[in-house]
Amino acid sequence: MTEPFPKVTGVILKNNRKVRSLDWAVVRSWDNKELSLKVDAASLQPHSRADTELWLARQILDKQIVDMDGRRVVRVNDLQLSQVEGSTLVIGVDIGSRGLARRVGLEGLGRRVTAAIGLDWPQKLISWEAVDPVKTDVSSVKLRIAHTKLAKLHPADIADIVNELSPDDRSAVFAALDDEKAADTLEEIDEPQMQASILERLDVERASDILEAMAPDEVADLLADMPRERAQQLLQKMEEDEAGDVEELLAYREDTAGGLMTTEYVAVLHTLTAAEAIERLRELEPDAESVYYVYVTDEEEHLLGVLSLRDLIVAKPETKIRDFMIKNVISVRLDAGPREVAEVTSKYNLLAVPVVDEHNRIHGIVTVDDVMERVMPARAGGRRRRIF
Amino acid sequence: MLLAVVGPGIITGNVDNDATGITGYALAGSHFGYELLWLLVVTAICLVAIQSMVARMGTVTGKGLSDLIRERFGIAPTLWVMIFLFFANAATTVAEFAGVGGAAQLLFGDVARYAAIPLAAILVWFLVLRGSFRVVERILLLLTLVYLGYIVSAFLAHPKWGDVIHHTVVPTFHFTPSFILIFITIVGTTITPWMAFFQQSNVADKGLHPDDLKYERIDTIAGILMLNVVAFFIIVATGATIYAAHVTVDPSDPSAFSKIALALKPLAGQYAEQLFAIGLLNASLMAASVLPLSTTYAITEAFGLERGIDKSFREAPVFLTIYTAMIVIGAGIAMFPRAPLVLITNLPNIINGMLLPLLLPLLILLANDKRIMGRYANSPLFNVFSGAVMVFLTAVTLAFLASIFFPGLFAGR
Repeated sequence: MTEPFPKVTGVILKNNRKVRSLDWAVVRSWDNKELSLKVDAASLQPHSRADTELWLARQILDKQIVDMDGRRVVRVNDLQLSQVEGSTLVIGVDIGSRGLARRVGLEGLGRRVTAAIGLDWPQKLISWEAVDPVKTDVSSVKLRIAHTKLAKLHPADIADIVNELSPDDRSAVFAALDDEKAADTLEEIDEPQMQASILERLDVERASDILEAMAPDEVADLLADMPRERAQQLLQKMEEDEAGDVEELLAYREDTAGGLMTTEYVAVLHTLTAAEAIERLRELEPDAESVYYVYVTDEEEHLLGVLSLRDLIVAKPETKIRDFMIKNVISVRLDAGPREVAEVTSKYNLLAVPVVDEHNRIHGIVTVDDVMERVMPARAGGRRRRIF
Repeated sequence: MLLAVVGPGIITGNVDNDATGITGYALAGSHFGYELLWLLVVTAICLVAIQSMVARMGTVTGKGLSDLIRERFGIAPTLWVMIFLFFANAATTVAEFAGVGGAAQLLFGDVARYAAIPLAAILVWFLVLRGSFRVVERILLLLTLVYLGYIVSAFLAHPKWGDVIHHTVVPTFHFTPSFILIFITIVGTTITPWMAFFQQSNVADKGLHPDDLKYERIDTIAGILMLNVVAFFIIVATGATIYAAHVTVDPSDPSAFSKIALALKPLAGQYAEQLFAIGLLNASLMAASVLPLSTTYAITEAFGLERGIDKSFREAPVFLTIYTAMIVIGAGIAMFPRAPLVLITNLPNIINGMLLPLLLPLLILLANDKRIMGRYANSPLFNVFSGAVMVFLTAVTLAFLASIFFPGLFAGR
């Protein structure tokens, strides 16, 4: 299905409880009600369905699809086929009440009624270009749908869409995303329970790959909500570095700075020059989130000072960083409560605050969005309100 | 703590002890003593068949029942089921608001119902849409402990336990219109289509894994047991008091509720009416807040419309319209000064009864479909079991319909 509009290749006929798969070439004409064939029923050309072909009645009609334009999950009420240069193409799906009425033979009546009271009854069509099928045919081998269109969306949009799907369809989406995208999407899903259930339905290898691409603090939150055994299993499969970070975070109580922090931060030795520090940053390739501040430590990770990227860049390349770093760093202790962390960040207008132990050794940073998420009562439009 | 482990099955079972349920069981006990106790065993078995099937489907597919019906059977059957479901549940909602009115009448006098019904409607609407439904649900669930009153009352009334046990084990049947009517009422009020939709959505929404199936089965059976134990003791308590005292309760009599309340006299003495009213009010409110919501979910899910209690009217117009309409219709009809209460409480049973034979074959087909259920499809043994249940319930429904259209049919004997 590389073209925007897939070609209809075959038709499945059912009569006298006999099901026959026929090549579309035998179809002479078709409309809403009838399909007439060129040859007599006895000598019909069979069509063998390839695995890559969609079975429209089974996988699209009446099923849920993702509407890529509206970025939501909708149900297909009818299909729109069209004759283009000798072949029949699926050009779109109908998701509106008209499609619904048409299927039960009430479209004509409905049109007369709406016309009589002077109302317009618009079609709600979605072009096939904007359709991403959800339904997987589980009959034989688990043929997964590629979700190529869906994968192009922003992780936050994918997360909203995934929210509306059943657990199996959810993991099918995740199976189709690459590790990086899957990790970002998983982070966007606010409900730890749902995150956990998605990972549980993926195989361990794949799940741990996704976890490695996530921020360690998110991973720790997630694993804390999983059955202990399964969490252990995932940790073991993860690379040692990442797993170590996560294990450290898991040891802290959730309602402390230690539990809120991430171990992804940038620290450089105080003995470096500005040029060497910039070189070090290049090697580390830090994520956007963690490069708000560059922390300066000694060999034992004692926190000595802090720099902004700006400070580093405007300084003369050969200057030692300990000579121009800001020495009195604002920090919080590992056992500080979320409220205290929030107060500190807002008082000093920080984007992130370093977390230290009783010996002033740095263990991680708490970013402002992580702490705000904790202290603010449920963000508007964030968490889905559950009824059951 | 205890409430944390309350699962979908227990919630469903308790919501089923609604206004029609309580009055149905009480009528059975006051008219026929213990003679219908055996029927509770039968309904429990039927419920186990149906509810465990939907719980399994919800767990395995993670989808609601109307979702599966639409995807498996297409548009026409879905449309029919949804039309019936809407009317059946709207009718039941009317009965729940009538229950609110009845309870208010007992507690505060005759005029109170005209204040209580609209108040309850507004309360339900707001609490569900703008408050926390979960909290409300848990509080109402806790209040169902009022039903324990029936158990105590039944013991205090010193029933002849020999008779009680005899009638639980040995079926009795009379071919008289009144017996058949109450027989059908009990089946109709206990086994309802909305329970199937409600429990499956509830299970699906919890996102259970097929590995959790054994817990879900325990939850389902626990819910059904709680439901039927309460029903059992309502019948014993009414049988030991009202029936034993030869009081006749005419359901069309406005004072019927206060007579039914006599069953709680051994426990609550002169406050029997109040205790009964609180139980009735609670049962009615709980069902009135669950039914419209679960119906609206089922319908919007089947047609793929925007849904969710946190959506605005612009985002989910159909969802909010159907939900509001059900409450307005329910409360509105129950408000009529001379509303025919007998019809109101029986109408849901008629429509539910017609929907069941339509729904059950679909349920069984779905639960057998390997493409949907994989290795969790029905076993042959379970099919024999659920098939027998289907035949029994269809027969009861046909008998019921026959008794409506040919009123003289069972009068001959």
